[in-house]
Parts: sequence; structure tokens; C-alpha cells
Amino acid sequence: MIKSVVSKEYQELQKQIVALQEKWKLQLDPESIRPNLDQAAMEAGVPAAALTAINFDISLFLQWIDEVNTTLINKNPELEPKLSNIHSLLNEETAIRWIEEAFSLNHVFFIHFAQEHGIEEWIPQFLAETALRPYLQLIAEKVQSEIHRAIPGAGCPVCGEPVRVAVLEEEGKKVMHCPRCLYHWHAKRLECGHCGNENHETIQFISIEGDATSQIQVCDECSGYIKIIDTRQYITKPSAALLDLKSIHLDFVAQEHGYNAVGEKKETN
Amino acid sequence: MATEYVKLVDVTKCDGCRACMVACKNWNDLPAEPEEFSGTVQSHKKTTADTWNVLQYIEHENGKGDLEYLFRHSSCFHCTDAACEKVCPENAISYSKFGTVVIDHDKCVGCGYCVQNCPFEVISLKEYKDKNGKEYKLSQKCTMCTDRLEEGLQPACVTTCHTNALEFGNKDEMLAKAEKRLSEIKGKFPNANIYNPKGVGGTHTIYVLTEKPSVYGLPENPKVPTSAVVWKDYAQPIGKMMIGATTMAVVGAFITNNIISKRIKGKEDGGEGHE
Repeated sequence: MIKSVVSKEYQELQKQIVALQEKWKLQLDPESIRPNLDQAAMEAGVPAAALTAINFDISLFLQWIDEVNTTLINKNPELEPKLSNIHSLLNEETAIRWIEEAFSLNHVFFIHFAQEHGIEEWIPQFLAETALRPYLQLIAEKVQSEIHRAIPGAGCPVCGEPVRVAVLEEEGKKVMHCPRCLYHWHAKRLECGHCGNENHETIQFISIEGDATSQIQVCDECSGYIKIIDTRQYITKPSAALLDLKSIHLDFVAQEHGYNAVGEKKETN
Repeated sequence: MATEYVKLVDVTKCDGCRACMVACKNWNDLPAEPEEFSGTVQSHKKTTADTWNVLQYIEHENGKGDLEYLFRHSSCFHCTDAACEKVCPENAISYSKFGTVVIDHDKCVGCGYCVQNCPFEVISLKEYKDKNGKEYKLSQKCTMCTDRLEEGLQPACVTTCHTNALEFGNKDEMLAKAEKRLSEIKGKFPNANIYNPKGVGGTHTIYVLTEKPSVYGLPENPKVPTSAVVWKDYAQPIGKMMIGATTMAVVGAFITNNIISKRIKGKEDGGEGHE
């Protein structure tokens, strides 16, 4: 997909960030991550990352945040006054807190942090999340061969991110891809990734005229949706994070039709 | 040039399902062309203006007394030195940044030189009627789905091929694949070869064939016709120059005539610009 609603500049920036994360991941000591895949917990939908002992390298984390800042400022010099004081705000203690809160997706903490220090709201969580991902991606890489299925409703089996994107691979296999940790797993063609619904009457597909490669799978049971991209048609296949970004128009369409990125929990008696 | 792409057709993997023909019609919005039964399984004799690729079913006697079908997905070869590009008097045919050969229908005048000169006979003229009922013609052929390539997508025929007989990718990668496949099938098909004719500078659709090209009805050594080279590289520039000279003469004459006629007019009615 070369045409996209996302501007070329922003795509370029994201590409650079993805490349940085790939580089950072290689700087990590593989031994710093020790997954402990407890079967019972996994069955209950606890993401693998939460069951993993991680030895965070705080100085590396701080260095990465500096690198993201430099990348952002290089792309958009107007950001310099907004980002220049971040470095002074971070010490070992706050960095640990950032990692913990980014890990649990605690956006309330980051909004408070931003208000407290007079910086724009998006900045702290964006930086923390960006610098956390190499760890998640390393975990995903380590457990890729060990986890084969996801628990419906629990999101990504590795990082817990709600399921968002599936790609169609050879022979029409549907493979879910997590844009956060890049973990991927097979799924049934006719199954809602949010609630596990397999009823063909309540699963529908929205396709967009003129868009030959993508469709939105919507579930009327839980009102959730996922994006399905037929990457078999692509000459080169982009990474899941970029695929998710470039297909953002599908999120708009799905949400305009009343579907949500996270399925609603069904009421059980 | 951006990345140069090649479509690799491995006839040994083709099962003759014709999905490539359907996918092409579908993507390019081409109307169906019903044909009378002509005693063969092949649907159309050759490519036409509305059928940009045809699956050939060649009945071949294999030398052991057996008759077998040879399948070949046939469409534009997208030559590196394309005869059609050379002969086009309107420069309507050009190379895209992907190496594909495309026709600009705003420039095409339907003269049919490209149809006459294509060594593979894959270009055809189509008749249209404008809103005043006036007939005109345009050249039509496979575009290698250049509109899809621009979107980062593979051609429609390749996407649909379920046996992977059609593959698409970087030129070098595809050539290497062809060589590898050739070495695999040499034992079973001693006449196997890679069809990527040098006479037209190589093509952007290359084949792994099991028999000699002539068995498939392909020219063994296609060339850009000498007349085409003479036309494009020598005659046409001179022609353009001469057009320039005559145009200047006409314009010159017009100006002189106009001045003279104005002068006469001025004498006659003492003014100008009645309207």
C-alpha cells in the first residue's frame, strides 16, 4: 500500500522508529529475559510478558529515550523546546516507574506526569512505550515457537495488546500480528479475535471500494473489529507496526459503523 | 528507475485453470469475449484488445507417442527494447519506472504500427465511438498491472495463481529462481530452457519452458525489426525536423499573407475587428 491516509513524513518517522527498536533489541542481552510460561496462567489469558522476569537496563532505557528525542527533533525541529527538558526529568527512579506504567498501559499516570511537569500530554507515554517495545519484542521472539494460540478476549498472548491486525498468508491462512510486540499466531478464518464468536451469521466483513487488499472483520456479538490485510498481493511485506499504521483508515470506517477496537465483554449469567 | 520487476512464468507448475485470465479481466475491467468452439480447449486464439492474457493449450506429441497439453500463460512480454515503443510515431508507448511497457491513451492515435511490429503479436486495436458517433481506435495490451505496481501490489494474474506458476519480484531474484528451476527440471525435460530473448534486450516476463520456444509458438530469436530501429532512431527525428521546417514555412506564409490581406482589408473598409 503506497497510497495511505497517513502522510509520507509520518510514515517515514515511524519507519525510523521501527528501525531504532530493531537496533535496540539487538543491544539487549537475551539472557536478561527469562519467560516462565505457567500453563494455568496462560490458559487464563495472562500475557507471557507478565510471566517473564525482565532485567531492565535502565541506562540503556534512558539512552533510547534520548535517541527517540533526537529522531523526533530531526524530523520536526519545532518539537525541540517541548522535548529538550525530558532528559533532565528522568533519573533511574522515574525511569523504572515509566517502564512499569508503560508495561501496564497506565495512561492516567502519564497524563498526571505530563501535567505535573508542564509537558504535552502525549510525550511521556509515547517515549516510554517506544523504549519499552524492544523488551516486548525480544520476549515475543523468544516464545514465538512455544505459544501457538491465543485466548479470545485476552489480546496478544505475549503483551496483552488488544488484537488489531490479521494478515492473509499463503493458502489463505489468517495470521494475527501484534503491532506492539510483533508476535504472530494463527487464527481461524471465521472467528472473532475478541470474543471467540464463530457464528457465521454474526461475523461480517466490511470492504472498501477501490481497496483491493483489506477488509474489516466485525463481530455483532461483541461489537469488536479487526483489520484483515491480504499481504499475499504485496510485492514486499511491511512489518506489522507499519501495516497497522498505514491501514488506519480502516479503523475510522469500523468505528464510524459503531464497532470498537476492543470487544465488549459478553454478559454471562 | 525504481526497482526493475520481472514476472516469472513457470509452465511446469501451470495446471491450465485460467484464473489468470479471469483476474486480468476483473482488475482491468475488460468485457467478456464469447468465442465459438474451435475444436480446442483453448478459449481464445490469441490475446485481443479485451483479453490481455490467454492461456495457451498446445497439443504436443512428446516423441514417445503420447499427446500432451502444454500450458502457457501468454501476455505482453514487456521487452527491454520494445519494438512497439520504437515504432510509435506519437511517442504514446513508453517504459515505466518498473521496466514495464505502457501505452498512453491520450497520445495514441490508433495507427496500428505497434500491432504490426510486435514480435509476439500481443497488441491489438480496439474500436471506440466518441459521443458524436465518430469512430476511433486505440492500442490495447497487458500493462503488467502498472497501476497495481504503483500501489506496491503484484499484478492481478500473479496474485490469483494458485500453483505459483506465476511469480513476481525483483529482476535478479526472479532470474535466479528461473535458473534454479531449470536445473531441477532438466532431467525430466531435456529440452527445457529459459525464455528471455536477447534480441529484444531481454523481457520483463520470462518463462521456464519445457520445450523449444517454437513448440509454444514463440519466435526462437525475436528481434526488434530493423525497419523499426530505422524509423525510431533515424527517420522519425528527421521527420520531426522536416515537420518543423514545413510548419515554419506555413506559419511564415500565414503571417505574410495576413499582413498583406489586412493591408488590403484596411484599404477596403477602413478598419478591422467587426466583432
